[in-house]
Amino acid sequence: MSNKTRTFLSMLGITIGVAAVIAVVSLGQGTSESVRERKSSLGSNIIFIKPGRVGGTGGRIAPAVGDVLNEEDVKKMKQLCFTLSDITPVLQRQSVILFEEKNTIATIMGVYPSIFDMMDLKVKEGRPFFESDEGKRVIVLGEKVAEDLFEGVNPVGQKVYVITPTGKQGFTVIGVLEKSGQLLFFNPDNAVFLPFKTAQYRIFHTKKVSLIVAKTVSQDLTDTAVLEIDDYLYKKFRDENMYNIVSQEAILSTLNETMTILNLTLGGIAGISLLVGGIGIMNIMLVSVTERTREIGIRKALGATNSSILLQFLMESTIITLIAGIIGISLGALIADLVGKTVNLPVLITPEVVMLAIGVSTGVGLFFGVYPAYKASKLNPVDALRYE
Amino acid sequence: MVIFENVTKIYRMGSEEIRALDNISLEIRDGEILVVMGPSGSGKSTFLHLAGCLDKPTFGRILMDGRDVSSLKEKELSRIRNKTIGFVFQQFNLLPRLTALENVELPMVYAGVPRKKRVEKAKKLLEMVGLSDRMKHKPSQLSGGQQQRVAIARALANDPKIILADEPTGNLDTKSGEVVINILKDLNRRGLTIVIVTHDPEVAIIAHRVIHLKDGKIVKEEVRV
Repeated sequence: MSNKTRTFLSMLGITIGVAAVIAVVSLGQGTSESVRERKSSLGSNIIFIKPGRVGGTGGRIAPAVGDVLNEEDVKKMKQLCFTLSDITPVLQRQSVILFEEKNTIATIMGVYPSIFDMMDLKVKEGRPFFESDEGKRVIVLGEKVAEDLFEGVNPVGQKVYVITPTGKQGFTVIGVLEKSGQLLFFNPDNAVFLPFKTAQYRIFHTKKVSLIVAKTVSQDLTDTAVLEIDDYLYKKFRDENMYNIVSQEAILSTLNETMTILNLTLGGIAGISLLVGGIGIMNIMLVSVTERTREIGIRKALGATNSSILLQFLMESTIITLIAGIIGISLGALIADLVGKTVNLPVLITPEVVMLAIGVSTGVGLFFGVYPAYKASKLNPVDALRYE
Repeated sequence: MVIFENVTKIYRMGSEEIRALDNISLEIRDGEILVVMGPSGSGKSTFLHLAGCLDKPTFGRILMDGRDVSSLKEKELSRIRNKTIGFVFQQFNLLPRLTALENVELPMVYAGVPRKKRVEKAKKLLEMVGLSDRMKHKPSQLSGGQQQRVAIARALANDPKIILADEPTGNLDTKSGEVVINILKDLNRRGLTIVIVTHDPEVAIIAHRVIHLKDGKIVKEEVRV
């Protein structure tokens, strides 16, 4: 019985190591996968141009420079930057939006019609707006906004009101978007879209724009596009703090880098745990060899060769670590699932990871089992038989 | 079949040299019962270990069917221990975690006998030593005499030519000892060579030949008919 307790305790090291590997890798893979999905859904060739932050005195956070970008910049960049396939100014603000007695808060987006193609936003009901709709009082609703306000009523053709500091403005719903889910910067489901001019005249009353969204011809031209835009803006402002160019690609690569470092760190910890676990296995096998010296002697007297004794002890250590590994895999999957649910991270356990974990634990058993097994196989049968 | 030619075996215990066997020449003849007697420390066990290919002599030669044991590789020695020799020990030396049946199967496992054949043979051997109702018992559930009979069945598993028994009755009461000795005698009648190391004169009764060892030397040889 004490043998079983001892073996179980030695197995713990491997179990914990494998559980850590499985948990880390499945969380990491799940996150990478979801980032990859978002990236492909948004397209990694999207570039955001935002006003920079300057000033910031005392304990106050520097406010965004509001009045730097305007529609004129958009037109010029479209002419000058050959790597851009499309570009739109964005007027953006959080507002209350009303339909009859119901209201909700939405992100108001005043944009060119090209935004729908650029961000791959599809219309579920009705239609998007076109250039011919510029200046008209029309609005396209995000999926969540439509659901909050209309609850089953067909929104197309209905009139909604946007509350502005100067009063409320009415718009006719012409379309509802399909559910999109969170993109990196905002969630289209919680937004409403208006033609740029309409938003400018009816709601924002400004010549400036909140930000500019551009799309490059292809993904590998993103870096070149960022340089072209930077060239134009630097010539305009002579101050790189006045603006901020962020490419989706750059954000994703930063995110990936962070994930990689995190994975390596946790992987390293898991590796050390496996190493320590392996040493534990070696220890228990050495104890077992000593305790079973007499058994080894008997087996040799009955005709066991050195290699069959070696094989016997190697198999024992491997089976121990394999069982430990299998328990570790289940435990790791459980931990990944719990953590994933708690902090809302996606979890992905692939067969490759499971095979890897089984492989690693078997490998640890073999590696750390070799020395004790070799020791056992080399015992002199006479000495072994005399052992009390 | 087994010939000792001027065999000396020296052990080292720290700085001390122990001459366990001192220039012994002897032949174990096919089909005989050879009993080796002597006080403890006389070299009896060493003699048996050398005869059983568990150890090699320091000086001299041991010929096993004409082959010099010293020249054989570990693998070949294992094969001889497995196929040609059957050991019976004073302490029985059964594996405690295995059943009687599994213990008897063990030498056949090392000989590569298929499972079905192994079980069949092991059952037959246990029947032969009168333990057909104890096959699934672990050694701890058996009496000393029963354990020794399992050990004899195990020694016979691969149809050896020679049985080497080290104080086979040493841990048994008189009655169980008699049973064991009778089994050994019976095996000899079927053609097996039996070597028994003992200091019990009762056991020597069945011997064809008795050798007395003292301080590693043969001091007396009796031939009985």
